[in-house]
Amino acid sequence: MAEKFDSLEEQLEKFVENIRQLGIIVSDFQPSSQAGLNQKLNFMVTGLQDIDKCRQQLHDISVPLEVFEYIDQGRNPQLYTKECLERALAKNEQVKGKIDTMKFAITFLNAVENPLGHPGTDSLSVGILSCISCFYSCL
Amino acid sequence: MGEERAGRAGMMENFSALFGGAEPPPPAAATALGFGPGKPGGAGAGPPPAVAPPQTAEDAARKAAAASGPFYLMRELPGNMELTGSTNLITHYNLEHSYNKFCGKKVKEKLSNFLPDLPGMIDLPGSHDNSSLRSLIEKPPICSSSFNPITGTMLTGFRLHAGPLPEQCRLMHIQPPKKKNKHKHKQSRTQDPVPPETPSDSDHKKKKKKKEEDPERKRKKKEKKKKKNRHSPEHPGVGSSQASSSSSLR
Repeated sequence: MAEKFDSLEEQLEKFVENIRQLGIIVSDFQPSSQAGLNQKLNFMVTGLQDIDKCRQQLHDISVPLEVFEYIDQGRNPQLYTKECLERALAKNEQVKGKIDTMKFAITFLNAVENPLGHPGTDSLSVGILSCISCFYSCL
Repeated sequence: MGEERAGRAGMMENFSALFGGAEPPPPAAATALGFGPGKPGGAGAGPPPAVAPPQTAEDAARKAAAASGPFYLMRELPGNMELTGSTNLITHYNLEHSYNKFCGKKVKEKLSNFLPDLPGMIDLPGSHDNSSLRSLIEKPPICSSSFNPITGTMLTGFRLHAGPLPEQCRLMHIQPPKKKNKHKHKQSRTQDPVPPETPSDSDHKKKKKKKEEDPERKRKKKEKKKKKNRHSPEHPGVGSSQASSSSSLR
């Protein structure tokens, strides 16, 4: 899979270098540079053809649109990856906290005994159990 | 009253079924007073249950809700899943290396740090010069499906006037100032517009610069050595000059 990206990266680098050289020629144009300019223009077309060929190998790759917002703002797209990982970790910790709290509540209620000898028959236990059921329904 | 007591007993029965654990059967006194499991036809039960009215869709829904238990919002519990939020999903999906790479180290903010070899001012927002990727996706340019080479007649349209570009169009050569590295690598700052140069000359110029710097250093070193040696009494040049002057006087 990395080979597909390597070939595309190579083609893009060549294309960008060709465009840069084209810009240098154009910045201070001389009549003798016309042949070189024509050659660079044709290299530009062939470069686009080569990049188009690479597209077929990458038809299954999806890029999130939010990355484009980072690039349009002039920001490093690796920051998007970083923020995704941080958000995933934070959500993971949040859900783990909920699960651990519910497990503790269940084990606590199982251990509670009311004066009548029936487990969980007092009003407090019933109220807590109704909250647990609401939590499960929200999941 | 008896119906309420029967309802409460039903709540307890459903609760125990959900969380497991066998409960002792209710005492006979409780059943005599109507605290039994609430089943119709029980010994010593209260008034018989009322006859059910004709069923409708709403009634069916209510019965389904009632069958789930006394808790209105309670649904069937989800089945046991191996992967839950209680496990560390980053280690589960082998993303530790990626996490340390992106979150352990400081990631630089600018786009030019991610693409250092890309020419031009890429750190500016794309909305300034209408070069945003978003606009490319929302309004793709209308073009043909294939790329055809430019013919000779088409190339006549690319005949340019000789001379330098106006300053307004020279922005492409300006790159953001690069920070000096701590190592002693010689990098020239490109704050001013770079003079136009052909790509073949750039390599030669770099080599020439290196060659020029080395002999310059050697010359400076030699000059310093000469200055030091002139002031020292052991310098043969000083003694020989004095001897020659003394011999001429004689």
